[in-house]
Amino acid sequence: MTDTRLDLPQGTLDLLILKALSLEPQHGWAISERIHQISREALDVQQGSLYPSLHRLERRGWIKARWGTSENNRRAKFYELTRRGRDQLATEAVAWQRLTAAIALVLKTT
Amino acid sequence: MLRDLLSDLLYRLRALVRRSAVERELDDELRFHIERQTAQNIAAGMPPADARTAALRTFGGVERRKEEIREARGVSLIEHFVQDLTYALRGLRAKPGFTFAVVLTLGLGVGANAAMFSVVDRLLFRPPPKLRDPALTHRVYYGSTYRGKESLSNAVAYARYADLIRWTSSFTRFAQSGTGDLAIGNGADASEMPVGDVSASFFAFFDAPAMIGRYFTSAEDSTPSGAPVVVLSHAFWQTQFGGRADALGSTLRIGSLVYTIIGVAPAGFVGLSPNRPPVAYIPISSFIGGQNLIWVRAGDTWWGTYNSFRSSTFAQRKPGVTVETANADLSSAMVRSYQAELAANPSAAALALVKPHGIVASVLAERGPNQSNNSKVAIWVSGVALIVLLIACANVANLLLARALSRRREIAVRLALGVSRRRLLSQLITESVLLAALGGVAGLVIAQAGGALLRAAFLPKSIAAGVASDPRTLTFAAAAALAAGLLAGVAPAFQLRAIDLTSDLRAGARDGRSHRSPLRRALQITQGVLSVLLLVGAGLFVRSLGNVRAVRLGYDVDPVLVLDLNMRGVALDRAHKVQLRERLLAAAKTLPEVENASRQIAMPFLSTVWTLLYVPGIDSVQKLGQFNFNEVSPEYFATLGTRIVRGRGINSGDQKGAPRAMVVSASMARRLWPSSDAIGQCVKVGADTLPCTYVVGIAEDIKAQKLDGDPGYNYYLPIAQSDPDAGGLFIRTRGPAARFADGIRRRLQPQMPGASYLTVTPLDEVIGEQTRTWKLGASMFLTFGLLALLLAAMGLFSVISYNVAQRTRELGVRAALGARTNDLITLVVRQGVELGVIGIAIGAAIALAGGRWIAPLLFNESPRDPAVFGLVALVLLGVTIAASWAPARRAARVDPQVALRAE
Repeated sequence: MTDTRLDLPQGTLDLLILKALSLEPQHGWAISERIHQISREALDVQQGSLYPSLHRLERRGWIKARWGTSENNRRAKFYELTRRGRDQLATEAVAWQRLTAAIALVLKTT
Repeated sequence: MLRDLLSDLLYRLRALVRRSAVERELDDELRFHIERQTAQNIAAGMPPADARTAALRTFGGVERRKEEIREARGVSLIEHFVQDLTYALRGLRAKPGFTFAVVLTLGLGVGANAAMFSVVDRLLFRPPPKLRDPALTHRVYYGSTYRGKESLSNAVAYARYADLIRWTSSFTRFAQSGTGDLAIGNGADASEMPVGDVSASFFAFFDAPAMIGRYFTSAEDSTPSGAPVVVLSHAFWQTQFGGRADALGSTLRIGSLVYTIIGVAPAGFVGLSPNRPPVAYIPISSFIGGQNLIWVRAGDTWWGTYNSFRSSTFAQRKPGVTVETANADLSSAMVRSYQAELAANPSAAALALVKPHGIVASVLAERGPNQSNNSKVAIWVSGVALIVLLIACANVANLLLARALSRRREIAVRLALGVSRRRLLSQLITESVLLAALGGVAGLVIAQAGGALLRAAFLPKSIAAGVASDPRTLTFAAAAALAAGLLAGVAPAFQLRAIDLTSDLRAGARDGRSHRSPLRRALQITQGVLSVLLLVGAGLFVRSLGNVRAVRLGYDVDPVLVLDLNMRGVALDRAHKVQLRERLLAAAKTLPEVENASRQIAMPFLSTVWTLLYVPGIDSVQKLGQFNFNEVSPEYFATLGTRIVRGRGINSGDQKGAPRAMVVSASMARRLWPSSDAIGQCVKVGADTLPCTYVVGIAEDIKAQKLDGDPGYNYYLPIAQSDPDAGGLFIRTRGPAARFADGIRRRLQPQMPGASYLTVTPLDEVIGEQTRTWKLGASMFLTFGLLALLLAAMGLFSVISYNVAQRTRELGVRAALGARTNDLITLVVRQGVELGVIGIAIGAAIALAGGRWIAPLLFNESPRDPAVFGLVALVLLGVTIAASWAPARRAARVDPQVALRAE
């Protein structure tokens, strides 16, 4: 763990998971890998903490799960976005961008 | 939003129902993750042995994550609850005796309260159903002062009612509504049922359009005589007309008139007196206009006279008008109305003396200002029921506590195994709530049976539904059960906090120490205190009832029947009316079960008659008080059993033409002639100009207005000399009158012309109404008091039993050291008696201090009656000893060998 890694702000993990699933269905491990890679290893998502979020999102009906075969030919649980999950991702992404832009603006003008 | 909820619910449901499958899936999912990461690590060049450890470390605590995931699934709360419930059920099933005792105790407590609530709610809280605006609807009371005494009357004359409509501006509408028993139907089918005579405005108070047909209009309810139309209640329409729509337009004989049915009120409509719902509603003007009215003076009209207190009066306040404004408006209208009365009748008392005013009050009559004693008793009995529930709670708390103490070690073990105290607490509470639910169900069963009895006692005319079908009572019962369960569960929960791991684990199951729990002692004493309070109350009411029954009324009650004539639809002239009554008297005397009979024109507690008296030498007899009279046959005194103190009664010589005779009561004789002999004195009855009526005898006083206090003044005139064409008969039967009533009515009915009919009522029923308050109080307090005593005895038994079980070792040592059986019994019983005596002392002190509150409801009975207190103390002491005796016997049988070896 280096200083360049960032802790996730509260509640952003859900957004990242939705984003990671926006291209194709993934299983849990692949999602954590993906987040790790896309963020250029800047975001430190502890692998275990992914799963409570996944189950919470499934409960809300934003993602759904089914059992399939993984790239290494094992039985794995795949998650995919539902239509409502896609809507939610769009909404949250916009909200996030507006928030960060606003904060950036404040920081810049000081 | 709804879809979110649905998805959430389905998810949780699946997680709950298919718990093991979901758990397995979770295991598989996480295992795959670890394997995949391990493979990745190996691919990155780690030795296989380290790869898996590293994968697990990266993941961060599989078990902890699983718990987090379960939380995220949102099922752990429900899971815990189901676990707790299963645990509690298993625990209760394992101890059926304990469970039965708790459920029965709670059931009795909750049942008593639910049953009482169903009564008090109807008396005091529940507005009449379908009322348009309960908050703005009032009973109107006319306040006036007569002979220096202020009174409030909800029944006002029609003329006054008309004045209020004319001269107030604060009200949307007024209505008058009376209810009386009228014969409905023809011939032998006719039976008396409650009929409401109401103003046309009455129906506008409700948000309840007629079910079929229509209500009557103000044009149909107009003076001098309204249209003969009737609106049926839904229930009557169902039973008498089978709910057929063609009932509209058909006719119904009600009282002396034939009415046309124009409408049916909707189901559940009971008018403004929900505890005595009419079967039909007729216009007030048709009802009164169709009668021969004896209370309207010559030259006056029924709608113009102020000389009546007939129908209950109601008003609906305008929105935005305060009660104070409404009262002021009403009072000024009352003053104007009284001035109008003075203009019509100059001999009425002066305005300044009468002080007329008006107030609006609750639409429920029992909310006051003229609350009946029965309803006061009902409130007291509710308090009593609440005390029974408290005793039940104390009892259940005690039982739970005993159980918690005997489970101390089990609980300590579970604590040591890492079960959180919060979890244990939630288990205890689940158990309490489960017991409360079972107790609540038992309570409803008890209330369903007991509530019918209570409502029959307090609301005899009501057609209220049972407890189980009434949502308000059900809600109350559920709340009471839950509160009781939680209240009882608090004590063991406190005990849980006190558990000390090390000492309780070390102590072992067969604990040699005795836990003398101060909490349990306090609970037991509380039960004793509450029992004393209830039993003292019961004793006071029983004594009151005894005192009421012992009152010498001045006449016999049990063998006497009252016969009344209802001249429905038959108009006789004066001579024929007199003849009819003489014929009935003669016919009654020929019946074998009739010992004696007499005509009368006034009946105790039902009607009084008075007129002006003039006595030579006395300025104004009227100022000395009210002198009531009766006109009677010679057999009157023998029929009623009223004793002649001096002189003679009325006899057959007191005919027209003979000197006018009168018999006066002892109090009247003393009042009018305090220093001389009443016999032979001259009294002019009715007018100063009439000839003298001579006092020929003095009769004992009779109580005809109220049971306690001053008997008032009464005199008797020979019916042959005054010759009234009204009144009925008193009949004295050989033996208790009630069983002859119907037979006598049947055999005399053929004497009655046309549709007229007779009613025969035992005098006991009439007087019984007067003693109902004390009968109610005595029976209710006694029932609940005994219930409380039973519960307290059960509680004491369990406490002592438990203590004996705890002290087995100590008692064994004592026995081994030579203590005799009697010593051991005394030792144990003394413990119970100690608790009992403290309870009795505190309870008696509270009862002595609080006695004055109940004093107004007692009859010639001091709330500090030493006999009652003494008896209660003895009973409680006896019960205490009895409850301690069985455990004491068990203690005495302790075999020292067994007790010591148990260590």
